[in-house]
Amino acid sequence: MTLELVLLVLLVVAAVWTVLARGLVGAAIGLAVTSVVLSVLLFQMHAPWAAVFELSVCAGLITVVFVSAVALTRAESPQELARATERRWRRYVALPILLVVVAVALAYLGVPEIPPSRPMGEPGVGETLWRLRPTDVLGQVLILFTGVLGVVVLFKERGNDAR
Amino acid sequence: MPAIPVTALLLVAFPALGALIVLLLPRDASRSWVSVGVSAVQVGLAIQLFRAVHGAGHALAWSAPSWAYWGLEASFRIDHFAAFVLTAAAGFSILVSLYGVAFFAGRNDTRSFWAGLLASLALSSGAMMADNLIFLLFFWEGLLGTLFWMIWAGGPDAWKTAVKALVLVGLSDLCLMGGIALVAVSEGGSSLSLSTIGASGGLALDATGGLAFVLLMIGATSKAGSLPFHTWIPDAAVDAPLPFMAFLPAAIEKLLGIYLLARIALELFALRPDTWASHLLMVLGAATILIAVAMALVQRDYKRLLSYHAISQVGYMILGVGTAVPAGIVGGLFHMINHAMYKSCLFLTGGAVERQAGTTDLARLGGIGRAMPVTFVSFIVAACAISGVPPFNGFFSKELVYDGALERHWIYYAAALLGSVLTAASFLKLGHAAFLGKPAAGTRTPKEVPWSMWVPMLVLVAGCILFGVYNPLPLRGLIQPILADQLAGHDFAGLPHSWLLVALTCIALALALANHLWGARRSGSGLHAVDHIHHAPGLSQVYAMAERRVFDPYDQGLVVVRGFSLVSFWFDRGIDWIYDVVSVRVAHGIGRGLRALHDGSYSLYVAWSLAGVIVVALIVALS
Amino acid sequence: MASLFVFVPLLALLLLHLPVARTFFRRISPYVVGLLLTLQAIVAIVPPGALEDPKAQPWFLPVDISYDGLTRVLLLTIGFVGLSALVVARSTLSAPKARLDFESLLLASLAAMNGVVLVQDLFSLWLFIEALGVGSFVLVASRKEPGGLEGAFKYLLLSAVASVLMLAGVALLLMAAGNTTFAAIRAAVEAGGMFPAGLATILFLAGLFVKGGVVPFHGWLPDAYTEAPPAVSVLLAGIVTKVGGLYTLIRLASECFRGVPGLDTLLLVLGTASIFTGALAALPQKDMKRMLAWSSVSQVGYIVVALGAATPLGLAGAVFHLFNHAIFKTQLFVNAAAVEAATGTRDMDRMGGLSHRMPWTSGTSVVALFSTAGIPPLAGFWSKLIILIALWQAGHEGWAAAAILGSLVTLAYFLSLQRRVFFGKLAENMESVREAGRGLVVPAVLLAAATICVGVFFFFILETFILPVQNILG
Repeated sequence: MTLELVLLVLLVVAAVWTVLARGLVGAAIGLAVTSVVLSVLLFQMHAPWAAVFELSVCAGLITVVFVSAVALTRAESPQELARATERRWRRYVALPILLVVVAVALAYLGVPEIPPSRPMGEPGVGETLWRLRPTDVLGQVLILFTGVLGVVVLFKERGNDAR
Repeated sequence: MPAIPVTALLLVAFPALGALIVLLLPRDASRSWVSVGVSAVQVGLAIQLFRAVHGAGHALAWSAPSWAYWGLEASFRIDHFAAFVLTAAAGFSILVSLYGVAFFAGRNDTRSFWAGLLASLALSSGAMMADNLIFLLFFWEGLLGTLFWMIWAGGPDAWKTAVKALVLVGLSDLCLMGGIALVAVSEGGSSLSLSTIGASGGLALDATGGLAFVLLMIGATSKAGSLPFHTWIPDAAVDAPLPFMAFLPAAIEKLLGIYLLARIALELFALRPDTWASHLLMVLGAATILIAVAMALVQRDYKRLLSYHAISQVGYMILGVGTAVPAGIVGGLFHMINHAMYKSCLFLTGGAVERQAGTTDLARLGGIGRAMPVTFVSFIVAACAISGVPPFNGFFSKELVYDGALERHWIYYAAALLGSVLTAASFLKLGHAAFLGKPAAGTRTPKEVPWSMWVPMLVLVAGCILFGVYNPLPLRGLIQPILADQLAGHDFAGLPHSWLLVALTCIALALALANHLWGARRSGSGLHAVDHIHHAPGLSQVYAMAERRVFDPYDQGLVVVRGFSLVSFWFDRGIDWIYDVVSVRVAHGIGRGLRALHDGSYSLYVAWSLAGVIVVALIVALS
Repeated sequence: MASLFVFVPLLALLLLHLPVARTFFRRISPYVVGLLLTLQAIVAIVPPGALEDPKAQPWFLPVDISYDGLTRVLLLTIGFVGLSALVVARSTLSAPKARLDFESLLLASLAAMNGVVLVQDLFSLWLFIEALGVGSFVLVASRKEPGGLEGAFKYLLLSAVASVLMLAGVALLLMAAGNTTFAAIRAAVEAGGMFPAGLATILFLAGLFVKGGVVPFHGWLPDAYTEAPPAVSVLLAGIVTKVGGLYTLIRLASECFRGVPGLDTLLLVLGTASIFTGALAALPQKDMKRMLAWSSVSQVGYIVVALGAATPLGLAGAVFHLFNHAIFKTQLFVNAAAVEAATGTRDMDRMGGLSHRMPWTSGTSVVALFSTAGIPPLAGFWSKLIILIALWQAGHEGWAAAAILGSLVTLAYFLSLQRRVFFGKLAENMESVREAGRGLVVPAVLLAAATICVGVFFFFILETFILPVQNILG
């Protein structure tokens, strides 16, 4: 329980850091950390399926692309940086409003009872995956391959630029 | 009904192909010969078909594989009548083509004429064979197109006449369309096939059916050139090339219009003599005869005078069909084919005169009979035929029409006979002014036309004589089989039955001759022989109004349209302002506003998406 | 055997990047990709009965897939548009490396798109949509200019939002249904309840709207379409968003989410909003590709509105318009690529009178524009007509009228495009402009011919391809 609490706090901290980070690199690392923490949390809560998906899809993929995109951008000039800092908070104005709306909506609808989760059988994760969801494996192979291909392509572009 | 041979489909496809070839050919001389060749093949095909129908003894039919989606049933049916008019149309086509070879020699702007001629031939063949009314309308409207095209190609001044013809014929076609729609209404949409409706006893002349009859009748008779949509024909006579007049208004359109009228009256509505529709047709016929011939009488131009007769003679056909008695119907249809022959011939003589003398103005013509003997002889025979002089073909068909008219009421007979007197008088005047007398000073001395122009004339002259002297050939061979059911054993071949009517006709012709001789002596010239009628008190004012086109529905329509357009112009300006200014400004304003909202900010776009989620949630939650 | 549609491109992609026989594989790669796309189109045209059971599973690939009328239309469209993009890439990308990259990513996208249209499971669907998103993101970004990156970022950002929304939806639906197959989800949604099924549907639909570029989720679309390299614009506008957003919407709205209350109203409202926002925003644009991008937003609206009719005919109209739109929008982006390649600019104010210099491009673009605006007898007219009839029959006369009004604005901005680019006097500095080469003319001509043929042989196409689509309603 304590471990879960620590992980939850870590998760929130990492997520907030991701959103508030000034540079894109920081944000990307924050996202990766968030994903990893979430994945660990899911394993911890006996949800290996969800954990595998979380790890492979979120941490593995979106971060890869994000980092590659970051690598392609150029640094901000000081003026741009100053302007961005100035405007930094303005973009989050909508966030509390959204929170309030969601809260009101939930209050209006009533927070429902979440059905209890069904624990999976205990055979190995990989075997379960292949037997139950072969299509997903195909999809994941495709995603990973595309991601790697994307990084290769984009980094090669950067190399061309440098030369 | 057994299937029709492929020949029938070729009758449409072959001339259409010919029209395409003519369009693509580079030289004008080759075009005319292609047209002659195509027409010759067409004649052969038509005769073969005629023999097939004759041999089968009943109608042949063909229907395209049903086009389920369009609900259109593309069906052809060829009976004796259709095969006969098809053959006649092809025959006129070959004569006019041959004539055109020399007439157009040396001109290099005839592509439209030849292509239009062959296209008209294809379309009219289609219209004559079509059994489904919608299908018929397709060919009918196509003919409107070729009509416009051929007049338009007549020269720089022909544009206005072409538009006039398009409007007037288009209007009457619109009536036809409305009539077909009403037939569909009164049939309950079950079938629009002429033969099917005819076989089921025809439509009743109730409110819907009656209106349908009137509209269909307007469509058919206007195609033939009757009142009141006729006024483009005299204008076209001046503007369009002469072979066009000899081909379309004189021959093909008469055949088509009267053919359809007969189909409608006799088959679709099974017209009986005691109905108002019969009287309506007869009144229309009589009025057409008298009014048009009265106008013809005072014309001073060879071609214009002929064109009014092209209108006037239609009256006899409508009158004949309208009598709804066997003698009248046979007479009307016989007159149709006779008219096509002598009127084509007359127009061809007009073309010969125009080509050789350089003018068709009667005041400048004169004395060319001696120089152009073949043309003169052709003119005399055709003029006698149109005036109803025995023993030419026009005499016999007119006698039959008189017979039928008298059987209904003497007033129709009187009108028809008066029309004959005036016809004869106007042709005496025409012949006298153009071929006799002295030539006006300054005109060149003409020579006879080349063989390719006089052969068609002589062929038609021979036809006029043959159909008159040996009238059992056309009557027993062509006309009477059409009406086999209605004739009830009557046979109209041979000499006229009523000698009293013949005597009256002869008296009428003698009156016309006497009037001409008196008038010519009084005025001193053939041209002014009927001036005493022209300037008679009462009539002269009417003629003057006619000259100012007071009676022309097109010109009167233009006045109304002009006023209307003035009103709608300002209305239109207002609407335009709303469209051009207000709506454009509003649209561009919104567009600029939208552009301002798309400033490229990521966070803005994300915010929008989230707002969209809320909208989605609200719509789902609230319903 | 239809799972080979996913497997074979993936295999080809792997082979292409194996460290053996590289030069050989790379030399033949464009032909292999072209052959794959052609085969796909041909197989999709062949009636399913003529094939081995398309749903049979090969021993090495126990994948559960669907293969119905809707899938066939989409597979065919993917084949067409993919081929066009391939040809355009050959003539707009000069470096062999860039071409190879494009071909690889095209293969990856092909596998992903085929996966999207074949699977019958919501989570698998999501995975393939993600794979497609990654591939197209890299494609958009592969141009080195900052504009391309900006477009890619916006695309990525909004895609990420969509992914999150959809994933959340999948999670909630998994919770409600205990499984993620379409059948299970349909049962769960029909069983009703605002939570979790209703909320899940809202989230998933919102995600799909982002992917498909429906107003107000469309923010990324103009930038991504405009700034991408020409071949990528063709692929993206022609098929990627159609498969990723609209096909999914069609499939799910008719198979899974029928039981959602207010779904019809939602689709009608958002669809009409898209029609008008897209059309009105296209009106003042100066950039040719941007105008086309906005036009896509507008046309997408028609597909969504057709779904809103919630009738079999509406479904058929939506699929037909999707197909037609894929064809003519692909062609317009090919035309835009040709104009850009020939003149070096996309600013329509600097062009004019190009019709004499580029007769093929000009002529084909007229066909596509008229088809878009719904002028008979072109393909676009028929699909719009079906949509209008479907709306009318469903009792949505007002929405039908709005759709017609939108069509008028479409005609207005496209006439303005045609006038500014192709008609009128030749603009300055444009004297030496010529057609941009066969690679950009041939696809445009073929696609224009397809538009005309579909329009002329409308009834045949309707009978063989479009009406069978209604079977998915069961």
